[in-house]
Amino acid sequence: MVNVTDHELVPDHELLDDPEAVEEVLAEYNVSKTDLPRIKRTDPALPDEAEPGDVVKIVRESRTTDQAIVYRLVIS
Amino acid sequence: MSMQTPKQLGGISFGLMDPETYRDMSATKVITADTYDDDGYPIDMGLMDPRLGVIDPGLECRTCGSHSGSCNGHFGHIELAAPVIHVGFTKLIRRLLRSTCRECGRLALEEHEREEFSDRYERARELGDDQTDVLKAAVRQARKASTCPFCGEPQADIKHEKPTTYYEVQDVLSGEYSERIAEAMQPDPDDEDDTGTTPSELADETGIALDRINDIMAGEFRPRDEDRRAIERALDVDLTEEDMNKLMPSDVRDWFEDIPDGDLEVLGIDAENSRPEWMILTVLPVPPVTTRPSITLDNGQRSEDDLTHKLVDIIRINQRFMENREAGAPQLIIEDLWELLQYHVTTFIDNEISGTPPARHRSGRPLKTLSQRLKGKEGRFRGSLSGKRVNFSARTVISPDPTLSLNEVGVPDRVATEMTQTLNVTERNVEEARQYVHNGPEAHPGANYVRRPDGRRLKVTEKNCEELAEKVEEGWEVNRHLIDGDIVIFNRQPSLHRMSIMAHEVVVMPYKTFRLNTTVCPPYNADFDGDEMNMHALQNEEARAEARVLMRVQEQILSPRFGENIIGAIQDHISGTYLLTHTNPEFTETQALDLLRATRVDELPEPDGIDDDGTEYWTGRSLFSELLPDDLELEFTSSTGDDVVIENGQLVEGTIDEDAVGAFGGDVVDTITKVYSETRARVFINEVAALAMRAIMHFGFSIGIDDESIPPEAEEQVDEAIDNAYDHIEELIETYEAGELESLPGRTVDETLEMKIMQTLGKARDSAGEIADQHFGDDNPAVVMARSGARGSMLNLTQMAGCVGQQAVRGERINRGYEDRTLSHYQPNDLSAEAHGFVENSYRAGLTPREFFFHAMGGREGLVDTAVRTSKSGYLQRRLINALSELEAQYDGSVRDTSGTVVQFEFGEDGTSPIKVSSSEDNDIEVDRIADRVLTAEFEDDAEKEEFLGRKQRPTNISEHAGPGLNKAQGLGVDSDD
Repeated sequence: MVNVTDHELVPDHELLDDPEAVEEVLAEYNVSKTDLPRIKRTDPALPDEAEPGDVVKIVRESRTTDQAIVYRLVIS
Repeated sequence: MSMQTPKQLGGISFGLMDPETYRDMSATKVITADTYDDDGYPIDMGLMDPRLGVIDPGLECRTCGSHSGSCNGHFGHIELAAPVIHVGFTKLIRRLLRSTCRECGRLALEEHEREEFSDRYERARELGDDQTDVLKAAVRQARKASTCPFCGEPQADIKHEKPTTYYEVQDVLSGEYSERIAEAMQPDPDDEDDTGTTPSELADETGIALDRINDIMAGEFRPRDEDRRAIERALDVDLTEEDMNKLMPSDVRDWFEDIPDGDLEVLGIDAENSRPEWMILTVLPVPPVTTRPSITLDNGQRSEDDLTHKLVDIIRINQRFMENREAGAPQLIIEDLWELLQYHVTTFIDNEISGTPPARHRSGRPLKTLSQRLKGKEGRFRGSLSGKRVNFSARTVISPDPTLSLNEVGVPDRVATEMTQTLNVTERNVEEARQYVHNGPEAHPGANYVRRPDGRRLKVTEKNCEELAEKVEEGWEVNRHLIDGDIVIFNRQPSLHRMSIMAHEVVVMPYKTFRLNTTVCPPYNADFDGDEMNMHALQNEEARAEARVLMRVQEQILSPRFGENIIGAIQDHISGTYLLTHTNPEFTETQALDLLRATRVDELPEPDGIDDDGTEYWTGRSLFSELLPDDLELEFTSSTGDDVVIENGQLVEGTIDEDAVGAFGGDVVDTITKVYSETRARVFINEVAALAMRAIMHFGFSIGIDDESIPPEAEEQVDEAIDNAYDHIEELIETYEAGELESLPGRTVDETLEMKIMQTLGKARDSAGEIADQHFGDDNPAVVMARSGARGSMLNLTQMAGCVGQQAVRGERINRGYEDRTLSHYQPNDLSAEAHGFVENSYRAGLTPREFFFHAMGGREGLVDTAVRTSKSGYLQRRLINALSELEAQYDGSVRDTSGTVVQFEFGEDGTSPIKVSSSEDNDIEVDRIADRVLTAEFEDDAEKEEFLGRKQRPTNISEHAGPGLNKAQGLGVDSDD
């Protein structure tokens, strides 16, 4: 089977395992978890171990900056 | 105006209303369907009861004592003879009926399921998801239960017949149960082993007494539910049939009353504010008279509002219902009346329910009831709240005036005398104010109204103006006419981007049109073929200040769409600068001064040289350079194709054309706006326009039919090129017909042929264009316009002089018309170029009738396309605006919606505004140049000073009319200055 995460158009989805790292992100933007953009747990780009309630960090190429970082909350 | 303390809304809560509350807030019970008596007085406890508010001037409201205008009206109520269902809640009612027990009213969910749905509900609320999805899921789950988990009562399915009828579908004992049992007990004739069932066997198996079995089989005793099931099991038969039991609104109400508050919470219903039984109306609120005013017609007859008509119907039926019930009418009649009452209440709330015939007026027009007042484009929300008609606005035709600054708008004097600004009279302007009032309402800088400190508003008339002027004191307000320098908002529809509404400064002018500088046409997308525009006069200081600082045209020079200027030279301005700079012509002193006379340059620079006659001359480029900032450094490629070099504010070489000063990204304008200031850019654009107009008038610029003619030998070349193409096509067709044409990958042979023919014809037109191009001089006006980017393209020129080329419909050659041919002039299946819409003539030479017809076909498609595109894109735009309207860039750089959800972590991912950054795909941010500029500035005294003083404010908000000697009011006495 093709692993879509290897496709060049699929940006890197990294799971933030460390609760502290999540806290840091939330503190940086002064938001609660639920204010983050969402991503479905069934999204094929997600790492397998992602569970609802986790936060993923997505690093994608951007037209305006070289790299743009986006955080998303995994939902069921 | 009385000063009111601003109030803040803490919150709004929505819910259902308790019938008791309806009664409490009701000013009166309404019992008679009549409105006015014979003398024209409202009937007591009728629909126009004076306690519901007053609409006739002079009458007094019996509830609050105020007169019409100040009384908002008061609700009344009708006691409904029987409960009816509120149409707005039919879906929720259905859901509740399906998910709760018919006996005990409890939600048919187990404890763990309740918890699950409570959690899901909580999660949906946290995430901002749709909570009705959870409700739907809970209902679906609860509906599965065949018996109530609490009382064990079997649950019937609920059938909903739109709009307001509910049935309970139950399995009941069939009328022919005895026959079915007997049949099942007979031995099967096809099966020899089957001996049938004897009644005693059946009695043993079911555990029912034998004589009872016999009674049942004789049809003398109807088996109870459990007995029925036992027999069914034993004999493997179905003894039931479906029965539809209609649920009357009163049944539903009783049912809902049993639902406990806790169970509603699981479904996301706040029982405190919204008990479900309140969805069934027992009391109907009667809207105040002010919401349904009656109109007196010319003949003195009163015409009632649609809502009043509907209320009359409701009261009549309600009355009849009560009378019939008291008289003990048969159940059938009562039910009919009940249904009728339900119909009237339904259509009173919503008259566009599918499946229900709309209630109609006597004339046959459907009534406009409550829901219709709110819905749609002309409804309360979109028509009266989001958009409404306003005062202090004017609309008229626009026309150009190149003498105005781009910040200005020419306002007709008759508009200026009608629209006013409020002048608060103080110690310092009392003389001025008196002068305005003294001038009266008709002379131009006059006044229309004054307001005394006691709040009394007086109209200034020709008669009383002199007298009134004496009385004006400090503390008065004078509504004076618009004068030069006032700031107004100017708008052209469709307002597709923010530059469609900009602030301008008023210049009062004679005649009837709004005048604007031609350089502001691009942002408004305006032309002068009859376009009209709107003007709004601002009415308070905050608005005026904001408009001046944020909305003035010069602040909108850069477009946030692509980060470059949207205001700049257009059309003739570009031809003008092209003529002035392309060949760098020489001018004598007189000519040079004439070119610059409309700018602020009043002294010529050092002459560029001395010609053979010994007179000094100035070149076009150095005249243009006079408009540039002294230290401007810039290099770019012009649209003409040469390199433009600007050093130290001097145009050294290159042509100034669209890419330099044009709207939509003219480099010089763009750089001046970003590096210097908006004010400098405004001055520059104004002056470029003025200089260009002088230049184009100096050279003279016109275009005629002879400008597109090419010499006969060139025409021959064009014909030859086209003939070659024809020959090539002939060959192609021959190979195709011989079946030898090889198809391109992914194409059929037919498609390949079409493509190749199109290609050949395209090439033929291009070569015709090239030939024509070679024979045009550089001074040909059409060439000048096309090269400079002023108007038109080389393609247009090709079509005028060389060959119009292939006409297309839907991107293909023209294939429609008759069977197998486009016109009856051709053989069927003729594949040649001319039979499918190739126009070999030029516009100048003229088209043959057949060519003209094909051309019209292609032209029609273009027109249809634009018409379809505008309507489609309009709706798309509306949807986009609604979807994005609540997004906002926050101070931390993130973009969020109103609920605080992050949409972008950094605005545009780079956190920059396009209009503040000078970069594009082929042009990175010019770090070096910015660093250079910062460094050079650092070591200059001025810069250091500025740094110590803090950031210097750019003086953007100074009116072009500020300064001494410009007070028009005082100047009225002066007749004329010519």
